[in-house]
Amino acid sequence: MRVYRDDQKFLQFRINALIWGIVAAFLFLAGSFWFVQGVQAEKYRGLSEANALREIEIPASRGLIRDRNGKMLADNEAAYSLSVDRMVLKPIVKRDPQHKAKMFQFLADVLSLPVAEVEARYDRGKVIPLAKPLAMAEELTMQQVAAIQSNSVLYPALNVLPVPRRNYPYGTMAAHVMGFIGEVNEKDLAQHPDLQQGDLIGKRGVELMYDNYLRGKDGAEYWEYDSHGRRLSEYVPARKQPLAGDNVYLTIDFELQRRAEQYFVENEMVGATVALDPRNGEVLAMASSPAYNPNVYSKRFTPDVYKTIQSNPFKIELNRAIQGLYSPGSVFKNVMAMAGLIDGAIDHQTTFHCTGSGVFSGRRFRCWKKEGHGDVDVQRALKVSCDIFFYNTGQRLGVDKIHDYAQRLTFGEISQVDLDGEKAGLVPSVAWARDKQKRKWYPSETISVAIGQGPLIVTPLQVANMTAAIANGGKVFRPHVVRFIEKKDAKSGKIQRLKVASKVLSEVKLAPPALEAVRRGLWKVVNEQGGTGGNARIEGLGVSGKTGTVQVIAQRGWVKSDSLPFKFRDHAWFAAYAPGEVGQIPSMVVVVFVEHGGHGGSDAAPLAKLLFESRFRDKDMSARLDLSNPETLEQIKEGDLPLPKSSR
Amino acid sequence: MIIRERALRGVDFNFIGTAIILAMIGIVLIYSATWFSEPSLATVKRQIIWVAIGLGLLTLFVIVDYHVLFDVAPILYAIGIAFLIYLLVWGKVTANVNSWIHIGAFRFQPSEFMKVFTALMLARFFDSNDHAYLDFRSFMKAMAIIGFPVGLIIVQPDFGTAASFFPLIAVAMFFGGIRPRVWVAMILIVAIALPIGWAFFLKPYQKERIVIFLNPERDPLGDGYQVTQAKIAIGSGGIHGKGFRQSTQARLDFIPEHHTDFIFSVLGEEWGFIGVVIVLSLYLFLIIQAMTFAKHARDRGGTFLVICLISFVIFHVLINVAMQIGVLPTTGIPLPLISYGGSSTMMFLIAIGLMANVDMRRFVNA
Repeated sequence: MRVYRDDQKFLQFRINALIWGIVAAFLFLAGSFWFVQGVQAEKYRGLSEANALREIEIPASRGLIRDRNGKMLADNEAAYSLSVDRMVLKPIVKRDPQHKAKMFQFLADVLSLPVAEVEARYDRGKVIPLAKPLAMAEELTMQQVAAIQSNSVLYPALNVLPVPRRNYPYGTMAAHVMGFIGEVNEKDLAQHPDLQQGDLIGKRGVELMYDNYLRGKDGAEYWEYDSHGRRLSEYVPARKQPLAGDNVYLTIDFELQRRAEQYFVENEMVGATVALDPRNGEVLAMASSPAYNPNVYSKRFTPDVYKTIQSNPFKIELNRAIQGLYSPGSVFKNVMAMAGLIDGAIDHQTTFHCTGSGVFSGRRFRCWKKEGHGDVDVQRALKVSCDIFFYNTGQRLGVDKIHDYAQRLTFGEISQVDLDGEKAGLVPSVAWARDKQKRKWYPSETISVAIGQGPLIVTPLQVANMTAAIANGGKVFRPHVVRFIEKKDAKSGKIQRLKVASKVLSEVKLAPPALEAVRRGLWKVVNEQGGTGGNARIEGLGVSGKTGTVQVIAQRGWVKSDSLPFKFRDHAWFAAYAPGEVGQIPSMVVVVFVEHGGHGGSDAAPLAKLLFESRFRDKDMSARLDLSNPETLEQIKEGDLPLPKSSR
Repeated sequence: MIIRERALRGVDFNFIGTAIILAMIGIVLIYSATWFSEPSLATVKRQIIWVAIGLGLLTLFVIVDYHVLFDVAPILYAIGIAFLIYLLVWGKVTANVNSWIHIGAFRFQPSEFMKVFTALMLARFFDSNDHAYLDFRSFMKAMAIIGFPVGLIIVQPDFGTAASFFPLIAVAMFFGGIRPRVWVAMILIVAIALPIGWAFFLKPYQKERIVIFLNPERDPLGDGYQVTQAKIAIGSGGIHGKGFRQSTQARLDFIPEHHTDFIFSVLGEEWGFIGVVIVLSLYLFLIIQAMTFAKHARDRGGTFLVICLISFVIFHVLINVAMQIGVLPTTGIPLPLISYGGSSTMMFLIAIGLMANVDMRRFVNA
């Protein structure tokens, strides 16, 4: 049943139908394109730019740290650093899942590290934004650079770039003052919302305290990358120049600092020294021994070194000048003298009779000198460090008054130095015993405190503040290690210097005769026959100071500590200022503390002399005391023997 | 013997001219897509050669009376089949698909030319079959003509090219004439065959393509990557486009195949919505013009030849343009006359020539 039909009509109809169908389809497509190109254009334009341009951070050059005369203490050094660009790695791993493992193996071979360590470094980067290069190794050797560069085709995600690295050219020099830098941690990020994981920040010392000035502002370049991660060309108009950090000038004097540190190292001593300008609180030197090398700390990858440092029994991270807490021993007699004179408990003519021991608050206390000193006034008491005189003074004052005067001289509270982690120490009082110890304060304890023993603990910096107050007539300055900050205006290039202000924290008012009595006493300690600080004497300079020796363990009777094991040996103090002749204005205070060092006069005083000579005499002179002469030593040791602590 | 002066004057130069304009646009876009990664411009130069050869072939296929071609169609068809079989046996693997024939440095895809030969064969069949409705035997014959090469291409396996023969089946059914009950039967068969085909015959990568098509932005670096990046390119072009050579998406290699299957995204990025509308209009003009040829053809064979050939163009344009913005899944179907590719360009120029050929000889007494 074949049906013939009007062929033309049949086809015409269907062709027309098809044409309209196609017109409709084209209109639909044009509409779809309108939606993408007209309505959503902005969204896709953004995506297109994000595709093509990548922000590459240009790290800002960290501000320099210089000493008070401009000597460079911390700068930035170009070092080759290896990073992985994970934006590049991702598509490669997509194509070749084995690529990452191969790359890790390659890096392990080149860097001579176990693969696990390489992987661990890579995994650290999980918290770092993907677009940020992930640092894998620092300070590559030229061989390593060459090995990585020559394989750059195989491992395009690896980048070797010269990156500014913090450099401390003098190693351990002023390490505790300058501190060090390190990668940010969660706490830093919470405080600084502008930082990202992987950024570097000051961790200790000036690097931490002045980080906002030193850090500067990172810039950025915008580079075109293709989908294979190849860098093509820079989009220059978008470039943001980095702003270098401000330079910091310390109050530290390089020469003084160097000599102080050298003294500790050469004599293998543990301890601290602080040199202050009593006129304004500037810290001229602050050394803590042993010191660490901030160059080691400022690296990203130092697990082994870090362990070694942590396990060091001498706690090398501790800045003993502000964090070490010690009994002040006889140097506290300065405080007692001032407190007694201001309070009126004694005057500059008051004398006590020393017979070598005395009964105070119902107990017998000994003077360090068995034979006794006879009649002593305040000047002589300071000179010979007579204990009996200060037992009497302490008894007259009572512990609470001692506490009040000590506190005015920054004891028992932080002196607000511009460094982190300063310790407050402790000055006991009746209230302290009641509130903190939940016990009664015994009057006999006051007698111990009067010669710097008992629960009293202080930092070397606090002793320096106190000594400075004597030197300048009663002012207690806020000590500071930064002299000024040098800002450079990015546009005009103008240099602006912001000085760190001197601030008087408190003042103790001594009547002129009283002040004179204390100063003469301290002058005699060093400059008169029989004084305990003769080792610091410099002709014509009138070095004035006070020695101190602190026994570490309780001893019965008069025992020399030299024969004891190191950790039981006495601590040695020497706190001095110069110039101290009549009519001279003292301009430097030096406090030396030697942990388990033996005696203030023999072990601490020579460093003070060294520093005073360096400052006031010929700077080139090798001002070292002849410690090999046993006669001198013997003489001094006799002057400041440890006082047996009465058992409580 | 074949050229007649009057006939030559009847050549529709608007039609051929539109095709040449499209080919020129193609060359410009291929240049935009490749100048950065390939400073030698080898790809563009090759495309210019293909277009030149294609125009030569176009002229040849205009001049030779299509009735003569009907006569030799079985021979051409047989040669094409022979090439496809040769590919299956000895073909070298190119891009996971054995679809290229190498003759020295020259290589081509016989499946592209097979489209023309199959269209010729089918038109020849309909020329002699002028029933209102196809009876079962004729229908099976028509299906066999299409099915034979399609089967060979599917086993290559080149799903995309095989699918591009689908318009011929549609033409056979739509214009050949099929009774309603056969339509119903066909739909039922398809409804049953689809899930079975999905489960047993589709290769994993083919399934993946379809799945990804449903949600291309799921994994931008994964397999929906192409469409995502193409959309970014097109969308970022906006109304006016970024301008000549300013395509960052293509230049930076974010769009794979940006000079072949995804050339349209370069157009969208550089010339914007305006460029898109212009090119779509050119295609639409070409299609409507061809439809007019079909209506006015001298005989049933001519009508079917034009319809078969233009159906390829329609199919390629719609599928390719739609996949650029994710309206349809990504397949390896090039944009007629614009996408880079020797075989495809030449095939479409031949098709243009053949359609003009039919139009030129529309007068019975010519």
